[in-house]
Amino acid sequence: MSGALVWLLVALGLGVVVVRRRSLAVTLVTAQALVLAVSAAQNNAAPAAVLAVRAVALGALLLLVVSRTREPRPVRAGIAPIARAGLAVGFALALTWLVPSIGLDSRNAERGVLALIAFGITAAATRRATLFQVMGIVLCENGLALAALELPGGSSTAIELGVAFDLTLVAVVAAVFHEKIFAEFGAGDTAALRSLRD
Amino acid sequence: MTSREILALLVVAVPALAAALAAAAPRRHVHVVAIVGAFASSAAAAALSIVALSAPGAPLVEHWVVVDAAAGLLVGVIGIVGLTAVLVSPAYLASSTTGLVRPERRPRMFYALVFCFWAILAAIPLVGNLGGAWLLVEATTAASALLVGFGGKPRALEAAWKYLILTSLGLGVALLGIVVLAAGSAHGGLDALSWRELAHIHSKHALIAYLLLLAGLASKVGWAPVHNWLPDAHSEAPAPVSALLSAALLPAVLLVAWRSSQALTPVIGASAAQSVLVGFGLLSLAVAVPFLWQPMAWKRLLAYSSLEHMGVIALGIGFGTPLALAGVAVHVVGHALAKALGFYAATPLIGHEPRAAGHAVRGIGRTQGPLGWVLGISLGSLAGLPPSPLFASEVLIVAGGFAAGRPWTAAASAALLALGFLGLAHTLIDTVAGKAPARDRTAPGLRGVVLLTSVAVPCLLGLTAAALWLPGSAIARALVQGIR
Repeated sequence: MSGALVWLLVALGLGVVVVRRRSLAVTLVTAQALVLAVSAAQNNAAPAAVLAVRAVALGALLLLVVSRTREPRPVRAGIAPIARAGLAVGFALALTWLVPSIGLDSRNAERGVLALIAFGITAAATRRATLFQVMGIVLCENGLALAALELPGGSSTAIELGVAFDLTLVAVVAAVFHEKIFAEFGAGDTAALRSLRD
Repeated sequence: MTSREILALLVVAVPALAAALAAAAPRRHVHVVAIVGAFASSAAAAALSIVALSAPGAPLVEHWVVVDAAAGLLVGVIGIVGLTAVLVSPAYLASSTTGLVRPERRPRMFYALVFCFWAILAAIPLVGNLGGAWLLVEATTAASALLVGFGGKPRALEAAWKYLILTSLGLGVALLGIVVLAAGSAHGGLDALSWRELAHIHSKHALIAYLLLLAGLASKVGWAPVHNWLPDAHSEAPAPVSALLSAALLPAVLLVAWRSSQALTPVIGASAAQSVLVGFGLLSLAVAVPFLWQPMAWKRLLAYSSLEHMGVIALGIGFGTPLALAGVAVHVVGHALAKALGFYAATPLIGHEPRAAGHAVRGIGRTQGPLGWVLGISLGSLAGLPPSPLFASEVLIVAGGFAAGRPWTAAASAALLALGFLGLAHTLIDTVAGKAPARDRTAPGLRGVVLLTSVAVPCLLGLTAAALWLPGSAIARALVQGIR
C-alpha cells in the first residue's frame, strides 16, 4: 500500500476522533474500510470482498442506529476537539516510539496501524456518546485490517472473514445496548452510566 | 475422523443444537428443552473430559483441534457449570421482573443465549490454533454481553456496555499481537498460528507480540490493571450467567494465554514467557485483596474474589513447575464449583434479603439456616479454609513458586493470600453468623441450591484428596509438557 493511502487512512481516523456529528463519523470509518478494501483488491480479491461487505454492512447498521436514535441535543465529549486531536496524535506518537518495528512490509504501514489503534482507543476513552465508543472499536479493527493486508505473506481470507464476522456481531450487540441506553436515559450518553463504583 | 475428534465436535455441536431448539421451542416446553439440552451437552463434555484425562500422555493435536489434559479439564468444568447454571435458571427467570426482551420471549432468549455462550466456550479449549481461539474469545463477548445486560435495569446496561467496550478494545490489542506473530511466520495464514507451529516462528518481534497478546487477553481474563469491567459484569449479570462468566469464561480465556505462553517459550525464552504471567498474577492479587476486606454486596464480593483467583492461577501457570501446575488444575475445578455455588445462592439470598442486591448483609444463617450453610460453604471454600481444595491448590502453587526458584514472588503471594483469607473469613463470619435484623424465612429457589450444595461438598472434598495425588501424576506431567 502506498504511503499516501496509509496517511489518508490515518487522516480519516483522526476525523473520527474530532468530528461532532455521529453520521459524519460513520461515513469516515466506512470510507476508511472501503479504502482498505480497494487497496486489498490489487493483491487478493477475497479479503477485499470481505472488507467491502463488512464496511457496507457496518456503515448501514450504524447509520440505521443513528436515524433511530435522534439525540435531542449533541452529546458533548467533555474534552474539546483540539484537545482530543492532540491527545490522539500524542498517543499515536508515543505508541510509535514505544513499539519498535512489528514486521510488516513497510514502516509507513506500521506507523499507520499504530496510529489507527491509538485513535480508536482515544475515541473510546474520550467520547461520551455510546456510538462514538463503538466507532473507536471499528477504528482499531480497521487498523488491524491494514496490518493484516501488509503482512509479508499477504492477508488470510479466513482471518479476515472471522474478524469481520466477530466485529459485526459485536457492533450488532452494541447497537442493541445503545438503543436500550437511549430508551432508558433519553440519550446515548455514557455519562449516565456511572453508578457502579467502589 | 477419530473418536476424539467426533467427541470434540459433539461437545460444541450439542449445546449449539440446544440453543436452536430452545429458541424454537413452544413457550411451555422451553424449560424442559433447556434442561434436556443441558444434560446432553454436559454428558458430551464429561465423555470428552474422561477420555482426555484418562490418557493425558497421548493428546490429540491437529492444526484445528486439540484434545489434551488441559482441554479435558476445562471442558469438564464448562460442562459442570453449564449444567448447573441451566438447572438454577428457572428460579432466576421466575424471580426476574425486568429484561432486555418482552416477558413472553424472555426464557427462550435466555436459554438460547446461554447455550450459544456454552457452545463457544466449549470450543475455546479444543481449538488447535491461536487465530481460531481469538475468534472464539471475541465471539463470547457478543453472547455474554447480551446475557450480562439481560436484566435490562440501568445498572445491568452499564455493566454490559463497559464489558463490551473494554473487552473488545482489549481483544483488538491481542489481535495486533497475533498479526505481529503471523508476520514472523514463514508461510502466513491460519495454519502458521497453530499451537505447534507457533514454536517455530522465527521473529525478532515475538516478545512484543507476546506482550500485546497477553495484555489484550488480560482484559478478558480480568487481570489487573485491566479488570474494571469484571466486578460490574459479575455483580449485575443474572446469577447463572455470573457463574458461567467467573467459573468457565475466565479460565477458558486464561487457557489461551497459557497455551500461548507454552507455545512461544522456545521463541522468547521461558523466563520472559513466565514472568509476564507472574506479574499479572501478583498484581491481580494485590489489587483484589483490599476489596476482600470491604463490606460489599455478595455478588460483587464474589467478583473481586474472581480477580484474586485468576491472579492465583496466573501465578501457578507462571511458575510452571509440576507442583504449581497440579495446583492450577485443582484450583480451576475447585474455584468453579465454589464460585458457581456462591452465585447460585445469590437468587435465594436476594429473595430472602433484598438489600443483598446492593449491600453487605449480616446474619443470614440466623434467619435462614440452610442458606447460611450454602453461603458459608461457598465463601469458606473460596477463602481457602481447610479442607477446601483451594487451600490445597494454593499451597501447591506457592510451593511450586519456591520450586521454580522464585522465592520472593512465592513469599509475596503467600502473604497476599493470607491477607485475602483473613478478609474473606471476616466477611464469612459476618454474613453467616453476624447480628441479623428480623426477616421472614422466604428464599425462592433455595431447595435446588441446597441440593446442588449437597452434591458439591463431596466433590470439593474429593478434589482436596486428589490434590495430594495429582503432583506426581501423568496429568501434571502432561500439563507441564503442554502441546509439543
